[in-house]
Amino acid sequence: MKLILKQTTLLIGAMVALYGVALALSLLLVPQAQIGQRLDAGLATQSLYMTEPKYVFLARGQLNSTSDKVVLVGASNMQAGFRQAQVQAQLPQVEVHNLSVGGSNITQVGQIVDLVREIQSPEARRHNTFVIGLWYGLFADDKTRWYTDDRHAGDTDIDIERYRYGFYRRTAHGPAPVLPPEHLGWGVTLIHPYLVLDRTARDLTRSLRSHLAAKPKVITDEQRNAAVLNEADKRKYLAFWRKSMGSAQTLSDAPFLVLEHTVERILADGGRVVLVDMPIPVWHAQGAVLQADYAHRVHPLLDRLQTRPGVTVVPAFDSTDDDFSDEVHPKPRVTNLWAQRLASAVAAGPVPPAAQSASMN
Amino acid sequence: MAFTSLTFIAFITAVVLLTSAMPSPRGRSGVLFVANLVFIGSYVTSVEQVAPLAAFLLLCFVLIEVVRRSRSSAMLVFGLAVAVCTFIVLKKFSFLGDALILPFPYLIVGLSYILFRVLHLMIDAQQGELDRPVAPLQFFNYTCNFLAFNAGPIQRYQDHDANSRQPLLLDEEKVYRAFARVVKGFVKVGVVSAIFNYLFENMSARLLDPAAQPALPVLGAMMVAAAVFYTVYLYANFAGYMDIVIGVGWLIGQDVPENFNRPFLARNFLDFWSRWHMTLSDWFKTYLFNPLLKTLATRITSPKSAPYLAVIAFFVTFLIMGVWHGTTTVFVVYGLLMGAGASINKLWQVAITQRVGKKRYKAIGEKPLAIGLARGMTLAYFALALSCLWLDMPQLSDLVQRLGAFGLLACYGGLSLAAGIAFLAWDAVTNLYQPMRRDVTSVSNGVITRNLGLALQILLVLTVASFFHKAPEFVYRAF
Repeated sequence: MKLILKQTTLLIGAMVALYGVALALSLLLVPQAQIGQRLDAGLATQSLYMTEPKYVFLARGQLNSTSDKVVLVGASNMQAGFRQAQVQAQLPQVEVHNLSVGGSNITQVGQIVDLVREIQSPEARRHNTFVIGLWYGLFADDKTRWYTDDRHAGDTDIDIERYRYGFYRRTAHGPAPVLPPEHLGWGVTLIHPYLVLDRTARDLTRSLRSHLAAKPKVITDEQRNAAVLNEADKRKYLAFWRKSMGSAQTLSDAPFLVLEHTVERILADGGRVVLVDMPIPVWHAQGAVLQADYAHRVHPLLDRLQTRPGVTVVPAFDSTDDDFSDEVHPKPRVTNLWAQRLASAVAAGPVPPAAQSASMN
Repeated sequence: MAFTSLTFIAFITAVVLLTSAMPSPRGRSGVLFVANLVFIGSYVTSVEQVAPLAAFLLLCFVLIEVVRRSRSSAMLVFGLAVAVCTFIVLKKFSFLGDALILPFPYLIVGLSYILFRVLHLMIDAQQGELDRPVAPLQFFNYTCNFLAFNAGPIQRYQDHDANSRQPLLLDEEKVYRAFARVVKGFVKVGVVSAIFNYLFENMSARLLDPAAQPALPVLGAMMVAAAVFYTVYLYANFAGYMDIVIGVGWLIGQDVPENFNRPFLARNFLDFWSRWHMTLSDWFKTYLFNPLLKTLATRITSPKSAPYLAVIAFFVTFLIMGVWHGTTTVFVVYGLLMGAGASINKLWQVAITQRVGKKRYKAIGEKPLAIGLARGMTLAYFALALSCLWLDMPQLSDLVQRLGAFGLLACYGGLSLAAGIAFLAWDAVTNLYQPMRRDVTSVSNGVITRNLGLALQILLVLTVASFFHKAPEFVYRAF
């Protein structure tokens, strides 16, 4: 046993020494991610974090402050529709952060809300206003969305980031933190060599990977503004969403319950919620099997939720089909107007109960 | 328990430490027994799920003892038939339909390899190769050894028994070599196989995308690329698993047999199978090929036909070995391709030897260009035939139809040539590197340097694991 313990000690010692050198070198050569004062997952590709889920998971540490915050969460239409800089310009008195992640369903949105909450003090949570962008695609069932071959069954993109560097471990009841959330900053520093290597490896192999997997092309704002959809494009998008939603004829109850519970948690913290019914093109709304069921379910829910103190509901903005570059994403030329509309709703919203009681004291 | 999981690492750490705390043969047997129970238990959530395996083991144990006592051929045939039929039912072979399927989920991992072990025991028992009865504890530890439970290797019982009676002797060098072997295994599984699995999954997804209609040359290139990626993935995955279990075996006093001997050096299909999954090949050679050849030779006595008897025996052996890999129709195609490969290879050897003579044939085979081409052709045949392991029957038919005979031949020819050139280039580089290697080895022999080398490999595994969020499955577990 002595021999085995000696060899184990030597090996662990060598690993610690090597990793220490790698950490020092990586911090020296590539400074830690400079992500600015406001978080914008849309800029993930330009950061050391590279992807929206990883950005949200690792960069959220700076949200533990007592300044008033508006945190945008949802899927890619929230990212494209409410650009962080444009919304921030409309709401200079608060911090605006966009933590929307492409491909999210409401389960993942709820997880992002919880990731923010878990690193915040109770006082910081009172200053949160979560803006959640809703549309029928957000209510995709977990079985359809997250039970795919490329991942452990049921893992969301956020779960994958939780497990990636061992910050969480997999248990029968879901992810359990290994690293206490309050030490997230230390954890991010400790994994710096991995972040640098990952970024470097991905940059070096980008052209090779583009031959392997069919990745969506990067489309410029000009191209989005000029986009005109023909009938074949529309059919392709409708088929895509039909398949993405598991070819279901109706939505299930579970995702709507997840939304309600997410709202409850935010309100219980003393925060505010703004629920935005995201517009989609008329041709999409009319062609999508699930849109009618979505409208049928979401409107009573929104009516009920908006009676709660701290909840604001923003109905779908008036828009035309020409305002969209594809089946869900608005053209960049309309996003400033969208930001103004959202800002008005946020500014006009009720003061959360917690803030009210705090000001009365 | 996945071999790439932290749970497995914790498990083997505990087994190694417990074994070194109880190094006597008896103590080691006890630790191995508990370890095997824990390992099998990690795959099930109820006793019911493990009951069919337990019943199968009990049945085989009784049959082996009956055969050993009677030494009767009829009893052996009966025992083999009962064991194989029970195995077919438990493995749910698709030709059975739903009639004989047990109506509850149960553990089938490890069954194939248990079958090989019990058939070997039964035959050896009848032939008087077992000098004493197999004790129940020894039987369980041999058939369900956690190191070989999932996918072999198939060790001879006599070797396992002799091994377990020896005291555990470790020294500093042996411990280091065991650690190095385990780490090497994790590099193969966690780095090489993970990267090639990523390449394969992306390429096969594009190849099988029903919406994509690539031109024939592109389709062929994608097919070849997917086949090569899968082959390297399979090799690294399986050979890495072997390195891990052999290394752990050294630490707990078990000499687990080697299963690979640089298979990509093989110059023909038959040579390939003497280097790839060697214990399976040896098993089939001992218990199927040799008896079959012997039977054929006693029935067909014409000297002219003698060389061709091996062709038939090879075809049957490789057909069965191929079919063994799965329970659906596509594995029959795989078996036919394996059988065809082996028998054509043997036919070629017979024909060319008759035409140019043994000496000249050997001389031709030693020319570097011929070696490169032969190795390329061997890899190409094996890689393309392996497609049966990742395609289902409709996908395979569709691809064959789309490629056509010309496309398939072009795939084979192109891959043979490309692989041949790559092998020749690789050999040239390694020959150049050879003198430098001696210097590197002498430097890396220091305790600190060699442990830094191991640590670097572990960090590499962790780095790649962080790139790919899902560790590759141990692929041979499925067979």
